[in-house]
Amino acid sequence: MESLTEILKRLHDGKVEFSLIGGFASRHYGVTLVTEDVDVCARFTPENLRRIESAFKEFHPRHRLTVNKLPFELTDELCQVLKNVYLNTDLGVLDCLSQVAGIGDFEAVLQKSELTEFPFGSCYVLKIEALIQAKQAVGRPHDLEAVRQLQVIKEKNEQQKN
Amino acid sequence: MIDKETLAQMNGKYVMPPDAGPAWRAAYEAGVDMSLLEDSLKRSSWERLLANDRALGLVRALEKTKAN
Repeated sequence: MESLTEILKRLHDGKVEFSLIGGFASRHYGVTLVTEDVDVCARFTPENLRRIESAFKEFHPRHRLTVNKLPFELTDELCQVLKNVYLNTDLGVLDCLSQVAGIGDFEAVLQKSELTEFPFGSCYVLKIEALIQAKQAVGRPHDLEAVRQLQVIKEKNEQQKN
Repeated sequence: MIDKETLAQMNGKYVMPPDAGPAWRAAYEAGVDMSLLEDSLKRSSWERLLANDRALGLVRALEKTKAN
């Protein structure tokens, strides 16, 4: 059964180094648009890639953008050359990126993320200001729709602080 | 008897909250359903993520219906 919250939990339980970005992060902040995938920025080291592989092994992960939907089975060579991992799993779609448009690599993303509590533990989530920046950089119509809502949420958060 | 203002709200007139800032007004002007956004902000982060799971389940069910 598809469950994006379970994907997030699996990443956490599998000790994957990542920060939540994209539409699911937007939902976390309050955006009303339904998202069909979990996007994360992850550290692209062989160890961390192996953690992703291990966390989703039982959920039939496949490279969703390959024509033949190749299974996600890492080799030492693949670990060296992968820049992104776009997966279809039994739990839903998981996209792992090594870089985020408008922000930079994993270290840059981590600096603009905050540790956030969920019922299963804590995960890094890209801060709302950086999420707005990233979505503006991508600039697709639905990203800009999310930006409009994120700006409202940011404004409301600031009002509550004052 | 329902007064005119209440009837207008029943028919979709949105009442801007008194503390609505520039971003709120801009989003409303751009056509964002601010009432849905207000409801979303009343929930916890985890409730919102679970709501996405449920909505996605509904999307998939509709896709299946369409396909059949």
